Amino acid sequence: MALSVTLLVLDASGLGIPVRIRAMASDIVAPLLDILERPIRGTQAGLERLAGVSDIYLENEKLRKENEMMREWRDAALKLTRENDELRDLLDAPGRTVPTVATGRVIGVGGGAFERNVVLNVGTGDGVALNLPVVDATGVVGRTIQVGRLSSRVLLVTDINSRIPVRLEDSGALAIIEGQNSRELRLNYVPMGTEIKVGTRVLTSGHGGIFPPDLPIGRIVEVREDAVIVEPESLLDRLDFVKVLAYVPLTPETEPEPLVPLEKAPATQAEATE
Amino acid sequence: MTFRRPTLSRFGLSGYLPVIITFICAFIMLLPLGTSAANVTVPHLALASAFYWLSSRPLLMPYGACALIGFFLDLWLDVPMGLNIGLLVLTRFFVLNQLKHYKGRSRIVYWAVFTGLSFALYAIAWAVTSIVRGDLWPLVPILTQWAVTAVSFGPLALVFGRIRRSVM
Repeated sequence: MALSVTLLVLDASGLGIPVRIRAMASDIVAPLLDILERPIRGTQAGLERLAGVSDIYLENEKLRKENEMMREWRDAALKLTRENDELRDLLDAPGRTVPTVATGRVIGVGGGAFERNVVLNVGTGDGVALNLPVVDATGVVGRTIQVGRLSSRVLLVTDINSRIPVRLEDSGALAIIEGQNSRELRLNYVPMGTEIKVGTRVLTSGHGGIFPPDLPIGRIVEVREDAVIVEPESLLDRLDFVKVLAYVPLTPETEPEPLVPLEKAPATQAEATE
Repeated sequence: MTFRRPTLSRFGLSGYLPVIITFICAFIMLLPLGTSAANVTVPHLALASAFYWLSSRPLLMPYGACALIGFFLDLWLDVPMGLNIGLLVLTRFFVLNQLKHYKGRSRIVYWAVFTGLSFALYAIAWAVTSIVRGDLWPLVPILTQWAVTAVSFGPLALVFGRIRRSVM
């Protein structure tokens, strides 16, 4: 009991077990977790397949319609991307594509009822580092908080310790999204007078230096008197493969020079240095 | 002077069974069963196992083993260090002091005792986490996991009972 209290006091005072030791503990069990999670995934996939057999016809129809719509969207997106690239070239502005460091698989979960994190089967050996954004095909999953050689731990957006600067897609208003240790997220610090609508998408704002801008986080599902509730976009209840992004935020040194309109351009060197 | 062998080894290999099973239960808690991100639906298997074995073979789950399993659980789950050590050590302390009141009673009584004990332990865990993290921790996920753990004790005890009868 004395050991337990001592460790808790050390943890509370910030002198607890170093992150590196925790990461090593995850590394030790990672190979075993990697092996054991495969049959679990297989069984889950098999059960889902069995459960879905009866809906296959209806789902097929729905997917066909969605596919047609997506094709139109794809053409429009390709055209816009091309235009965007050309304009970026003209302005000499940096691109917004964030490369992937590693694609990992969720092999373990942690935290129990107290925290929300998952263990991935990629670590420093795969190029993963601390505080890198992690996404799945639909949106932000979280960020890396512990990295070992073979495994890394990701703090999920739903964890109570997770706070991410965001903006609302329609109004552009900036806010902070916080985890609640449940399925829902809470939107805080929304500027006064901002019109908040159910269904609005919430994207990362790029502030804070961990997440690149414009990654989808969730969608507003409820506006209460005291809180705005957001449902995560990512498939947090069935995470499998995720991508760790190599995001390096733009620093003042790497940011492009702001464009100065011709009519406001300083006339003299002295004016420019003022 | 007679030499007494440690209790664990007096039973041979089967003497280590409670510790091994509880350790495996702790490991299973890490696997992405059910929902991978919201692990609240996975019961605290190690707590249920520790309570079962302490109630049936208290000497085969010494304080050291409880603390060691709790230590690994804290490391793997990435919760405040000492939390699960405390929970498992308190479980042993409770069982050793109260076993005389419910030993030999029906399974329902064991289930009820576990439900009460686990509620108290989760309340302590909630308070400790809130103090360590310096913020009031959300209650709903913790109550949910307590409920799932309490409900699943019955079926788990049946499985543990089968193992105990077939090996010991």
